[in-house]
Amino acid sequence: MRSHFSLGQYARGHLVGARATAMPLREQVEEALAQGVEVVFDFSAVEATQSFIDELVGVLVLRHGPDILDRLVFKSCSDDVRAIIEFVAADRCDQYIQSHSH
Amino acid sequence: MPTPVRLPTYLSIRSAAEVVAACQHLIKSDGDAVVDAVGLRFADPFGLAMLGATFHMIRDQGRGVGVRGLSTDMAGYLNRMDVFKEVELIECAPHATGRHDRGGTLVELTRLDSQGGVDDLAYRLAKALVGEISDINPEEPPDEMTSFTAFDRLVEPLQYALSELLENAMTHARRQGYRDASVWVACQYYPRKGLIRLGVVDNGCGILATLRSHPELRRDTHHEAILTALRPRISCNRDLRLGTDSVNQGVGLTTTCRIAEHAGGRLVILSGDAIHSTNGESGTLMAGAAWQGVAIALECRRDQLPDIRFRELLPPYNAQAPVRLRFE
Repeated sequence: MRSHFSLGQYARGHLVGARATAMPLREQVEEALAQGVEVVFDFSAVEATQSFIDELVGVLVLRHGPDILDRLVFKSCSDDVRAIIEFVAADRCDQYIQSHSH
Repeated sequence: MPTPVRLPTYLSIRSAAEVVAACQHLIKSDGDAVVDAVGLRFADPFGLAMLGATFHMIRDQGRGVGVRGLSTDMAGYLNRMDVFKEVELIECAPHATGRHDRGGTLVELTRLDSQGGVDDLAYRLAKALVGEISDINPEEPPDEMTSFTAFDRLVEPLQYALSELLENAMTHARRQGYRDASVWVACQYYPRKGLIRLGVVDNGCGILATLRSHPELRRDTHHEAILTALRPRISCNRDLRLGTDSVNQGVGLTTTCRIAEHAGGRLVILSGDAIHSTNGESGTLMAGAAWQGVAIALECRRDQLPDIRFRELLPPYNAQAPVRLRFE
C-alpha cells in the first residue's frame, strides 16, 4: 500500500524551498510510515532546494537509518531534483553510519 | 543637538567598511540619531539593507532617526525603496518625499522576522525582480517537455538563492540569545549592465558565535569563521539532537555562492570585523568597523541565470547511499 504526497501543492511557483515548509510534510510522512505504508513523493513540475530535501528526506535517514529509503519512492523528478536527493541521501547515510559505528 | 554621522558617497558593497563604520557609529551613539546624507550619491541593495537594519535597531532602542541633506534623486530612490519608515527627513531637497519612478527595476526593502515567511518572501522577491525585466513575458505558455517558461528559468535560481540565504539568516541569526533578530533584504535589476544585485542583512549573533565550538574552526576570528562556514558540510547543527527541531547540512551557503559564480557574479559575506568575497577580496575590515550579525551581497548576470543547473552546484561526494534509491 502506498501513500502519495504531491510536492506541487507546497511549491511557491515551481520551487519548494524552506525547511519550515518541509517539516509539517515530513511529519505526515512519518505518520504514514508508522502505519507500514510506502510513501511516494511526486515531484512533477517542481524543483527543490537542497535544504528542503534534507529536511524531508535527510532527517528521516538521521532518525530512522538508511533502511527507511527502501520505503520511499521519488516520482517524476527532474535531473536536478534527482541529483539533490542522491546527494542528501548519500551524505546523511554516511553521517548516520559513522555516528552508529563502534 | 546630536553630532550627525556622515554616510559615505557610495552606500554599497564596494564601500563595505565605510558603510559598516557609519552604521556601527549610528547604533552605538546616544540620543536621537542624525544622518548626514549630503554626500550620498549611490546606494545598492547591500547598502539599503544595512541602512534599513540600522534604522530599525535605533528605533528599537527608543531613539529617533533623522536624515538630512538628501538630494532629490537619492531621497526619491530611498523613499521608493521604503527605507524611510518612521524616519524624519530634515533639510532635504524640495519634493524629496515624492516617489521617483526608476522604470520599475526596484524591489523594496523588506524585513523578515519569522522562518515561516521564507518561502513566500523568496518567491515574491524573485518574481518581482524578474518581472521588471522587460523582454521576459510571464504569460508565455510553458515548454511542453519541462512545464517551465523562460520566466520560470530566471525566477528559480534567484528564488533558490534567496530561499537559502533567508533560511540561513533566520536559522543562525537567532542563536546565542538573539531571539528577536530580523533579516532585511533588498533587490535591484540594473538593465544597462544586465546585473542583478541582492542584499541580505541580519542583526543576529554573527557567524563566529554560531561556529565557535565547531571542531573545524581553526582560529577564533570572524574571518576564519566566514571561511569555515563556506566549506561544504560545515554547520553548527548537522547532528539531529534530542529536543531540537532544526538541523542543517551545511551546504546552502556554498550552493548559493556557486549560483552567483556560475551566473558570472560573486557573493560577499561580512560578519563581525571580517569580509570575504568569492572573487578574491578577503580579510579584516579597516578602521575597526564591525557588524554584529551577517551581511551578504550577491551579484550576478541576468543572462547567465537560465543556464544554472542546480545539480552542477552540489559539493562533490563519493559515497553512495547504502540503500538503492527508488525513482519512478
